[in-house]
Amino acid sequence: MDKRQLSHDILNALERLRIMHDLAKDQNFAVIKKEELLNDLAETLEKLEVDFKQLIQ
Amino acid sequence: MDKIICLGKNYQDHTLEMKEKAPDRPVLFIKPASTFIEPKENAAIVLPWKRGLIHHECEIVFKLYKKNIIGLGLGLDLTLRDVQKKLKENGHPWEIAKTFKNSAIVTPIKGLRDFPKDWQDCPFTLKVNGEIRQESKLNNAIMKADEIIHYVDEFFPLCDGDLIFTGTPSGVGPLQPNDQIEMSYGPIHHSFKVVDIG
Repeated sequence: MDKRQLSHDILNALERLRIMHDLAKDQNFAVIKKEELLNDLAETLEKLEVDFKQLIQ
Repeated sequence: MDKIICLGKNYQDHTLEMKEKAPDRPVLFIKPASTFIEPKENAAIVLPWKRGLIHHECEIVFKLYKKNIIGLGLGLDLTLRDVQKKLKENGHPWEIAKTFKNSAIVTPIKGLRDFPKDWQDCPFTLKVNGEIRQESKLNNAIMKADEIIHYVDEFFPLCDGDLIFTGTPSGVGPLQPNDQIEMSYGPIHHSFKVVDIG
């Protein structure tokens, strides 16, 4: 994958983490339930690590 | 945030006041994320007055996550009206009338649980120097929440954190330097002022 796309995906993941943080901080689970949020967190962190490792190569 | 997606002509009363023809569906345009500002309470926001009339357009704003509305705010879609009018008359795109710095002012976003369940029926208000300029509710709009998301999703790749400006009701008008702005919607009550450069 080209580095530009990787960079874009990483920045999107960071934005996603920021939103997830806000949802958790505000206890805002009206739309995204806690369980779904935790699943999203795990998925996002996993993908972030893979993408980041590719980017620094 | 990747982008701000805006609906134009989503309130019939605004289309009438602009003396324009209503489209079959609301107009869509985007503002880049760099136009966004979330002013602190009582902050002063600098605007480019030298470029002509700056009109306020007060709108309910959605914040998205996985194509869901996770929060609501109130926004001012600022518009260089003279510039836009001239571009429209010449049949040109009017993007540059909408994309100047600080042209997408948004109050702090609040989670849905902070709003009444029937938040689309909850009134929002814009006051300038204490005078009500715009007042409406999303239920007065042509397109409501669910339809807006589907509609926008047809044309734009939606990213987490994107904002949707849902259109403005009637009452748009010019701002002047040092105008005091108050925006209210459900639990949101936010004030700031707009100022000249330097």
